[in-house]
This record gives sequence, structure tokens and C-alpha cells, in this order.
Amino acid sequence: MKDKLTRRNFLQASAVTLLGTGGAALLGRGGQKATAAPMAQMDHMQHGGMPGVVGEVDHGKNGFNPTDVLTDFDYGEVSTLPGGQTLREYRVSSVNKNIEIVPGIEFPAWTFNGRIPGPTIRCTEGDHIRIHFSNGSTHPHSMHFHGIHPSEMDGVPSSGPGLIQPGDTFTYEFDAEPFGLHLYHCHAFPLARHIAKGLYGAFIIDPKEGRPPVDRELVMVMSGFDVDFDDANDFYAVNAIPFHFDQHPIQIRVGEKVRVYLVNILEFDLINSFHLHANFFNYYPTGTSLTPSEYTDTVMQTQAQRGILEFSYKYPGTYMFHAHNTEFAELGWTGHFEVLP
Amino acid sequence: MADRAASPTKPKSFNLTTALLLVLPLLVLGGVIALFLSTGGGLHLSAPAPVEDLKIERTVLKPGSIDLLVRNAGPQDVTIAQAVINNGVWPFSVSPSPSIPRLSQATVHVDYEWVQGEAYAVTLFSKNALPFSTEIPVAFTTPQPNSRTFWSFTLIGLYVGVIPVYLGLFWFPALRLLGRRWMVLLLAITAGLLVFLGLDTLSEALEKAGAVPAPLQGIGLVGIGAVATFFLLDAISRRQASSGKSEAEQRLSLAYMIATGIGLHNLGEGLAIGAAYNVGEIALGAFLVVGFIIQNITEGLGIIAPVLRDRPGLRSLALMGLVGGGPAILGAWIGGFAPNATLAVLFLAVGTGAIFEVVYEIAKLIQKDTARQPMPFTVFSGIVAGMLLLWVTGLLIK
Repeated sequence: MKDKLTRRNFLQASAVTLLGTGGAALLGRGGQKATAAPMAQMDHMQHGGMPGVVGEVDHGKNGFNPTDVLTDFDYGEVSTLPGGQTLREYRVSSVNKNIEIVPGIEFPAWTFNGRIPGPTIRCTEGDHIRIHFSNGSTHPHSMHFHGIHPSEMDGVPSSGPGLIQPGDTFTYEFDAEPFGLHLYHCHAFPLARHIAKGLYGAFIIDPKEGRPPVDRELVMVMSGFDVDFDDANDFYAVNAIPFHFDQHPIQIRVGEKVRVYLVNILEFDLINSFHLHANFFNYYPTGTSLTPSEYTDTVMQTQAQRGILEFSYKYPGTYMFHAHNTEFAELGWTGHFEVLP
Repeated sequence: MADRAASPTKPKSFNLTTALLLVLPLLVLGGVIALFLSTGGGLHLSAPAPVEDLKIERTVLKPGSIDLLVRNAGPQDVTIAQAVINNGVWPFSVSPSPSIPRLSQATVHVDYEWVQGEAYAVTLFSKNALPFSTEIPVAFTTPQPNSRTFWSFTLIGLYVGVIPVYLGLFWFPALRLLGRRWMVLLLAITAGLLVFLGLDTLSEALEKAGAVPAPLQGIGLVGIGAVATFFLLDAISRRQASSGKSEAEQRLSLAYMIATGIGLHNLGEGLAIGAAYNVGEIALGAFLVVGFIIQNITEGLGIIAPVLRDRPGLRSLALMGLVGGGPAILGAWIGGFAPNATLAVLFLAVGTGAIFEVVYEIAKLIQKDTARQPMPFTVFSGIVAGMLLLWVTGLLIK
């Protein structure tokens, strides 16, 4: 009989309807709705509502706050090796943990040190790095660092210690090079799932001479969450919690120099992006050069691409920053800078 | 008691032992259930993941807002945690509460500036991150019950139900002049029409049954509705047959039963058209309505077939037309203003039962009419012609 139409059927039916306009003419009144022409805009269009969540996640229970993640750098335990080389030692463990991603929805995450993203590991070029990794979760995991290091320190299943079994430990050890902004993540297979579950973090190697001083340094790790496990992201965010910097704008001052370490580790979608409102920034791809490659207000990154942004605000006020894949923006990857005079 | 037990002459009397044996299984059953609930009976039945089922039964669009009427069709409470519209997370409110008990209903309200004529996909996430989706194929303000929309739905019902059935009735005087063989043919055509309509109604009922919340067992409702109606009508007709009524009176009541069956079928059509209108699918309406008029004119024919040799009053004819066509208006109202899958399934199931019972009655009538002068191929061609008639006119609608 009169089947309920899907949109596709509906469109086909609309074409049939045009053929049937002879019939429609017989019934002028009934035919009014039978148009396949574009509809007019509604006259009551207003711009009031904005996407967002109701309420706020429990940061205390989550064990981390995205605002704190912005400025939380782990420099490790520092000592000096006999040859004079600086040694930095870090402790990282993988933990299964439920994280409240959006109010009311807990995601059964896998984390490094109980947070998403994992600790921002920071060192200087030429330092010797030791990462004491212990697998406190119920699955085999690893830590794969982007950078230059020997094969057995690559953290993949096929070389060195391979995957670290639950309860086991391993120390990843190498000299930090090259300077730049990098990242690390679990490299167990299926890789997409291990990354999407939360096993990633930023890895900063400062140049020996350092970068020019700025007033604020902020870490932003872009990712998404597939809460219903259909290999498509349901929510997007910077530092894990969607809309967090909407609800809690990042406060800076007019004229302050801001440096953002931006990392994209988004699974399932091909690209991610960052757009800054009412401003332009110098962009240093991968942070491997001290000379900016571009002066822009939007950058695009595929998974594992990263770069450093430097800017300052000329006027006080509130300014959005968000993925200019606007779909991601409305699903959580949106925030604000609150620029104080 | 002692002498009762000793008395072999009354072995079937109800005594304490019988009572005990009657009650004992129930007591033991209660005990088993209690034991099972308290200990789990040695089975480990805790679900690895929560089982949730939320049916989005209806969407109501008003300027600047979308309301979703949802029903918890799962075995446990469902809590709505987030609402996503076309790849955007939107603030929402739920009344009476975001936590919805089993089989209860709630309304999710989202302030959203939807645009006329565009399509929207809506997903509600439960607290356990299970998504429940619906789609709004064509957005437009959902008709609210007022005098204007009421009149539009009435008109739709008039066009698809009442008018065509009455048009069919106008053939009455001409058909009265037909000979016996032609009347049998007409009855057979009616049976064919009804078989086709019955299958159509049944398939619609079964399809709709999928939209009924699982605990209400849509398919079961179809069975109950159809079988109960069939046997109720059968019982009524048997009582009439044995009540000493004349054959003419019995044929008249058969005509009324056909009208009732067709009326229930048209109620189903009205429901579907009203519901389609409600979600904007009536864009193909004008053509559809023309098709219905052509198809349903044959229904009027079916109603009068049994009484062609009699002289039913104008009043009877008018009433039959109303019973056969009027329900389309009622269906359009219900479908348009308060679509409800469970109710629709029940109506359609009752329609199925009624139509097939009427086919059975017509079969009896044909048998009586052809008892002295068999005309097997008249019956055969009539039935096939009736079915083909609806199939061909159906080409206009599908």
C-alpha cells in the first residue's frame, strides 16, 4: 500500500509526481503540496541556538581537566649521564578507565596515566630519554614515538620487545631528535581501535637553543570518540572533552604572545583542521624549523600531522577557535579565547 | 472427609486432595521463581552490555523546535544523555524525565531552527552510548489539530473513501438488470477484489508490526486481531442464518458486512495517508488520490453485489456507502494527528480478519447460487478479474 518513504524513494517519487501533474491539475487543492521545486526559506529564521551539551562532565571523576592539560608539561626526572648528556626519565602506564566524554556518556577508554591525551612528554634535542612503560591494562599495548630512534625502540609488534603484555614493563630509550613537535601512541593492532580508545599524547623536543620566549604555551591534541563502535566518530574535541573550551574559554591578554602545540590524532576521519577567529598565526609545520612556513588563519592536518602556531590578539573580546570541518565543530571541537584588555 | 474419601461412587467430586494438587504446582512454581531470582539458579546471566531499545515514535516540528516522542521498548530503564541533529550536538530537554521507565513515553525537546523542505537525521544517545536514530525526510510544520487541518484531512478521507464508494453504488440500477450468470460473476469479482484487499491489509499490518514496541508483540496483535474478527463475524453470521431471517435479509446483512470489511480497509488507507501527510510524504498526494478514487470505485461495486436481486432502500445504500467509505476520514484524522503504530496494527488486523470473513460469506453465497447450475469458469474468471482489477488500478498508486 502506501509505503513509508525513505528520502531517496521520496526524491524518486517526486519525479513521478511531476509526470502525474496531469492528475494533479484535476485536484488543484491537493496538488499544492506536490511541488518538487526548491522550498522558500522559512520567514521565522532566527539565530539563537548554538550546538552544545547540557551540563558538564565530572572532571574530578575523570581524573583530568582539559584546561590543565593545556599547560601540563612532563619534563621527566632529570639527571646527568657520565658523558655529560642530560638524562630524562618518564613513567607511563596504560590503564583501562571509563571517561565521561560528554555529560551522561562514559566511554570505556584506554589511557596513558589515566588521562586523554596522555602526558605531554617534553625534552630538549640531544637529551637521552628513558620511558619506563608498564602495561596496567588488560590488553597488550606499546608506545610508538614519532622521532628518530633504533628499530627495537619503535614500539611496534614486529621489532624489539614487540607488544608489552598486561602486567609487563619495558623501557623505551633513545636520544631525542629531531627537535620539533611530535607525538606518541600505542601501536598494537587493530591500530585504529587502540588509538581511538585514547592511547596517544604529545611529544615535544625543544631545540637546543630554545624557541623565542612567549607568554603562554598551550598543548592542544585534536581527537574524536566513537562511543557506539561503528568506526565513525560521534564526538570531536581538543584535549578529549567536547565543547570544554566553549564552556571554559582560555583566558589570555591583549598583546600576549601565545604558542599552541597542535597535534591531530583523529581516527576514522581523513583530516582535521584548526581555525582561529579574527586573527592570523605563524605556522611551523612539525615545529622542525624556527622559520614559519605560512601566515594564515586555518591549517589542515591529517592523522599524526602536527605543527606549532604563534599569535597574539590585537583587540580584547571573545574569539572562537574550532575545526573548520564544521561538522566536527558542531560535534564538540569548538572553543573560545577570552582576550582580556 | 473420611467418608468422601471412602466413597467410590463420587470419585470426581472436588476434595482437599484435588485442591492441593491444583495449587501445588503454582506454589512450587512460585518457589522456583523466588529461588531463581535470589540465586540466579546457577546460571551467569548478567549481560555483558546493557540491552536498551528506544523507539522514536513521532517527530513534531514547530517553528524553531523539534519534539521527539520516544518510547522505551527495552527491558530496563533508558536514560537519554545527548541529542545529535545532522552532525551537531544540540542542547535538549526531556519531559517528564531523561530517565524513561520500561514502556513509558517521553518527549525530547530541542530548540532548532530547521529549514522548510530540508532533511534531518536525529540521533539520541542513551547513557550507555547506544544511538537511536530517526530521520525527518522533509521538514515542515507538523499539522496541529485545528479547524483547517481537520477539514483537509476530512477532504482527503472524502476523496479516497466516501466519494469512490458512493460512485460505485450508482451502478446499482444498471447492474440490477443483469442475468443470474452475470450476478454470480459480479460476486466472484467482489471476492477477488476482497482477497486482494485482504492480502494488502495483512501485509500492511505485518509491516507496521515491526514499528510496534517489542514487548507489545506486533505480530501477535495481528494474529489476535485478524483471527478474533474473523470468528466473531462468522459467529454473528451463523446466528443470523439460524434466526429464521429471509434470504434477502441475509444477503442484505452480507452487504453490510462487506461494507464493514471495506470500511476497515479504508480506515487503514486513511491512517497511512494521514501519517504520510504528517511526515511530508504527501508531496505525491494528488496523483495518489486520483489512483485511490479509481481503485476504490470498485469497492462500491463489491458492496452492492450480493443485493442486486433485492430492493434495498435508498437509506440502506446510503448507509452502506458511509460504512464502507467513511472510515477513511476517521483514519486520516487519527493518522494525521495522533499516529500510533500499535493502534494502526490493531485496526489493520481487524480489517484483515473482516475482509477474509466476508470472502468466506461470499463463497457460501456463490455456492448456494450455483448449486443447481454450476458455472465454475464464471467463478474462476470473476475472482481472477477482481484481483487483476485492483492490481492494474494499483499500478497508478504504487
